[in-house]
Amino acid sequence: MKSPGSLARFGEGFYRHEMKLAALLLLLGIALAVAAPRFFSPANLALLARSMGVLLMVSVGMLNVILSGGIDVSAGAILAVVSVVLVRLGNHGLPASTVLPLGLLTGAALGAVNAALIAELRIPPIVATLGTAGLFRGLLLEWTQGEWESSIPAWLNAVGSPRWGGLDASVLAAALLMLASACILHRTQIGRSLFRFGDSPVAAARTGVSPRQPVYLAYVSLGILTSIGAVFYAAQLGAVQGNAANGYELTVIAAVVLGGADILGGRGSLLGTFLGVLLLCSLEQALVLLHVATFWQNIATGAVVLLGVILSTAERLHGKLLPQQSPSA
Amino acid sequence: MNSSSLATPDRFGNSTPRFNKRMMGLRQSGSLQPGVVMLLVLFFCIYAGYRSGDFWSALNWQLLAQPLAEAGLVSLGMMFVIASGGIDLSAGAIIGVAAVTGGIAAHHHLPVPAIEAATLAAGLLCGAFNGILIGVFRLSSILVTLGSMILFSGIALAISDGNSFAGFPDGVLWWNDAALLGIPLEFLLFLATAAVAAVLLRYTLWGHYVIAVGSNRVAARYSGYPVALTVFGVYTFEGLLCGMTGILLVARLASARADMGQGLMLMAIAAVVLGGAPIAGGSASVMATLAGVAAFYIVQDGLLLLDVPPFVQHALTSVLLLVAVAVGNLLQGNRR
Repeated sequence: MKSPGSLARFGEGFYRHEMKLAALLLLLGIALAVAAPRFFSPANLALLARSMGVLLMVSVGMLNVILSGGIDVSAGAILAVVSVVLVRLGNHGLPASTVLPLGLLTGAALGAVNAALIAELRIPPIVATLGTAGLFRGLLLEWTQGEWESSIPAWLNAVGSPRWGGLDASVLAAALLMLASACILHRTQIGRSLFRFGDSPVAAARTGVSPRQPVYLAYVSLGILTSIGAVFYAAQLGAVQGNAANGYELTVIAAVVLGGADILGGRGSLLGTFLGVLLLCSLEQALVLLHVATFWQNIATGAVVLLGVILSTAERLHGKLLPQQSPSA
Repeated sequence: MNSSSLATPDRFGNSTPRFNKRMMGLRQSGSLQPGVVMLLVLFFCIYAGYRSGDFWSALNWQLLAQPLAEAGLVSLGMMFVIASGGIDLSAGAIIGVAAVTGGIAAHHHLPVPAIEAATLAAGLLCGAFNGILIGVFRLSSILVTLGSMILFSGIALAISDGNSFAGFPDGVLWWNDAALLGIPLEFLLFLATAAVAAVLLRYTLWGHYVIAVGSNRVAARYSGYPVALTVFGVYTFEGLLCGMTGILLVARLASARADMGQGLMLMAIAAVVLGGAPIAGGSASVMATLAGVAAFYIVQDGLLLLDVPPFVQHALTSVLLLVAVAVGNLLQGNRR
């Protein structure tokens, strides 16, 4: 077992990548303290926390999928579908108590479609989710006819408005979801089976792990977490459209991968994912504060993702004379 | 199983052990999927021709051939990438960098060959960058190209300052207008490139190495194959083809923008997979890739003529991908 998941082995290799990420963040922090001390003002830190909430929720879901050895490029489409469903139904006058469960159900159902294609029809995850991304997005655009939903219901607006010293409900929700995910991943049988399944489906099957259950767990949980994220996404933006969150899945995957998750499955941690999201978001925030043009933000983000990949691969190859076992991903 | 079934006579009457036959099959895409796809498309064509009088018109096929050629070039490159066991998420961003580089060259009033050389070189360099990280440093292709996709799209935006370039000389736009016997030159260029790709894949050592690396990278290394160089070549070739696509796109749209190739990356992956290539690598066929990319564009075009709403077209082509892969999987499963 590669992933002890307890603090007992801290520093013994498992959290090595997280230590490197933390060091990278510390460097960024020192540079920012010199170049843009405003970064550490309470107002800016609150803004940073608010910008992290949605990305963190979706990333935790994506971590589950990547742990299971899969990938989901339809997450952005699911986010868009659910936020449009929430806002449209809300604008039709349905109460929050009806709209929110319906939104969660939509997300879970779309996740289940992905899982069914992968587990039942044995379509490779990247192909299956590539197809469903086009399908979900196409149907959504047909439904909205490309028009903006430019107002959101009052209760949704209240969810997104800052309180508690600049923080909003998304920060609290993200923290609670992280905690819940940690419990499920490390303290339940089905959560542990996700690691084993992602490490080797064959070996997992020999130890009694179903070949379907972890797949459904991963993709449905991503669907649910994405739809919770969609609530705050719509609330924070105040307007949604069929093309919303286009390419969002790639930012999410970048965050998870930056956090040290192995794209081949079986390895990764919530702490790493959190640090990956923190690094991406604070980099973006810092470049805004430094008045750097948006184009350069992309360049910086790309460079940091590549750096993260080099860091995480270097340690995996460390001490190994054999070439990489699975170059397929 | 008796011994006679292990040896099957070939067309010269010699008995070859089945083991050898399977080794030979290494290069062929053993999948039934291209056949399934072509059959589905054929039914679709008959239906579309029946419902719309314009479907079989020469003009329709001429208009269809140009975007098909652009997507086809990227798909050919992607075919090698996927065959080598990798994936290239940065293809669309490379097209953007290449097109914008051409735009800058045109902006400085360089001669036409220099503009086209600059476009190709930009694509080649971007591909080589991926190739070094993935081939030489053995980093995971999906992660490297995810990072370089963000990086390249940033570079394309930064060097173009977010603007689009227009005012290309006629020599550059020539690619769009030129035709031979009514066939657009873009499409002929694509066919010629496909022929070159087929020769590279089937009759050169490099093609053999690509398939070997995609089948089993460790075994390829222990067999003394130049794995790093092969993989480097795969991504560089893909970059070059993205540069060519950039030239054709600039010619057809008469402008260059950073986000030009955005949709083409996913389209290329989908086309290769639709043709039946396993996403895990180790198998490739130029004909299957042609079938895949043609299927996408023929169906999209037919749906357009059938007055299907544009967003539903998008959804339906995705369904085509899912159905074809699922049916191909089921047939494959039954044969085993």
